[in-house]
Amino acid sequence: MNSLAKASTLSSENISVWFGQRQVLSDVNLVFPANKVTALIGPSGCGKSTFIRTLNRMHELIPGAGLAGSVYLDGEDIYGEDFDAVSVRIKIGMVFQKPNPFPTMTIRDNILSGLRLSGRKIENGDEVVETSLRRASIWNEVKDRLNDQAISLSGGQQQRLCIARSLAMNPQVLLMDEPCSALDPGSTRRIEETIQELSSSMTIVIVTHNMQQAQRVSDQTAFFLADDNTPGGVVEFGATEQIFNGPIDQRTNDYVNGHFG
Amino acid sequence: MSFAPRPAVQPWARVNTGRRIQILLASSIPLLATVLIIILTGLDNNIALIGVFLPLQLVAAAAVGFKAFGKRGVGDAALIVLVIFFATFVLVLLASVVFALISQGAQAMSWGFFTTNNRYVSNTTSLEYGGVGHAIIGTLLVVGLTTVVTVPLGIAMAIYLTQSQSKTKGIIRTLTQAISGLPSVVAGLFILSIAITLDWQKSGVLGSMALLPLMLPTIARVAEEALRLVPVDLRYAALALGAPNYRAFFQVILPAAKSGLVTAILLGVARIIGETAPLILTVPISNGTSWDLFSGEIMTLPAYVYNYLGSAFVPSQNRAWGAALVLMILVAILFGATRIISRSKSLKSKPTKEKASK
Repeated sequence: MNSLAKASTLSSENISVWFGQRQVLSDVNLVFPANKVTALIGPSGCGKSTFIRTLNRMHELIPGAGLAGSVYLDGEDIYGEDFDAVSVRIKIGMVFQKPNPFPTMTIRDNILSGLRLSGRKIENGDEVVETSLRRASIWNEVKDRLNDQAISLSGGQQQRLCIARSLAMNPQVLLMDEPCSALDPGSTRRIEETIQELSSSMTIVIVTHNMQQAQRVSDQTAFFLADDNTPGGVVEFGATEQIFNGPIDQRTNDYVNGHFG
Repeated sequence: MSFAPRPAVQPWARVNTGRRIQILLASSIPLLATVLIIILTGLDNNIALIGVFLPLQLVAAAAVGFKAFGKRGVGDAALIVLVIFFATFVLVLLASVVFALISQGAQAMSWGFFTTNNRYVSNTTSLEYGGVGHAIIGTLLVVGLTTVVTVPLGIAMAIYLTQSQSKTKGIIRTLTQAISGLPSVVAGLFILSIAITLDWQKSGVLGSMALLPLMLPTIARVAEEALRLVPVDLRYAALALGAPNYRAFFQVILPAAKSGLVTAILLGVARIIGETAPLILTVPISNGTSWDLFSGEIMTLPAYVYNYLGSAFVPSQNRAWGAALVLMILVAILFGATRIISRSKSLKSKPTKEKASK
């Protein structure tokens, strides 16, 4: 068994984001404690996905992107001079909304792709493959066809493969951007179970539009909102229990109870 | 006339007998009418085809379509007629070119024609002697050198055009497209003028240089399209795993674009393999076999065709047709081989179909 990396605490400080001249996020301050699952909820267009992409420096890939503020990984600013985007992304993994396995690779190669792409030597490939697939609870479904093409899997399996691919890198933090939005209830449930198990070894941030999912998987929840033509921001942030059962802000109450959004 | 009932595996394809007869009439009457008109009036065949047959056929099809489906049936029927008519038209054109090549070139075909050169062959020498062996070698060498030099350049250009955010991209793309309209004879003259200025001898390598600007735009443009088709998600996936840009490109984007890049190379080769003018201007022809691209005379297939086609002697004309046929066969072999090689490695991985899980 690999020695798993320790989970880390991630925090954002006054994160503001621009696309060109347009500001889309304003002063987001959130703390993601180690081994906790944090759900980001809010209506479409409020900047959740944009925010989560600032956490592993994927945001800067978009032409015209701008950013102010800091993101700290165990106290170190990932936008600081001591960090570069590549080493940030090795420590902070990401799962996207749409499953995106590498179509030219087999299931096995997809799992090992992170190691190869980041230029590491692969010593115990079989072990990494099995461990990662087990942690993403897809091992039993694919163990007999590791050399099949990854795109031969169903959508739900592809998404769990993508999770396994991130896990092979042993990230300290895992960011998930609506990982279940394209999946059926069965696959969704399995991914939720996976998230619960993973939280023992890493910090997880998940964007979701599914209120029940946020309640099932997360320890704390942040509610994002963008009023018309103003940048988005966090309205309320706290324990999931509190956000859903006793929100302080009226807008949070309306949103979690389905009155708008 | 009755039709045996088919099991309804394709219920949407069921056509009742009445409709069948209508379709049969609609597709035979215009043809018969056209033939009749040609016989009676002596109308030119081609004019009759466009001026009589096509309108008649359109009207007949529209009538059947209208009877079956009303207004919307007319459009569908007209579209079907137009598609079939013009597809047939183009197919006949292409087939007649191939047929002409085969029928004219066939008499030159023999094993010896592929393997021997034209040393000791005069204009009247029988076809049993001599061949295009030296021209095949020359073409493969000249085109091969051009390809080896141009493919990296073209693909590098495509990479620049797709991956860079620079503002000069637009200018470079426009220039590339402008070059693709360059008359090949100008490319030849350009290289020839350089050679004269610098006092270089004509040789195969000059021919390769003249072919380069013709091949480059094709490869760059098709490769650019191939790279553009790779979803940006894949690049993000690779970068999110901590890949540096170059690894994301070489290990993820390039493999995903592979079959498109192979097509780019093939189209590039097809673009130049039959080019005649630049080679006539820059490459001295020979009747003997030469493997030397860098000095002396070397024969190529297009130059061979050009050289013999204008001859007043029948055996020489036959040689030219034979060489043209060989050129076509060569392209077919190159295409077939490349397709098989690239398919065996990458077809399985084409990101097109999603199989359901078991």
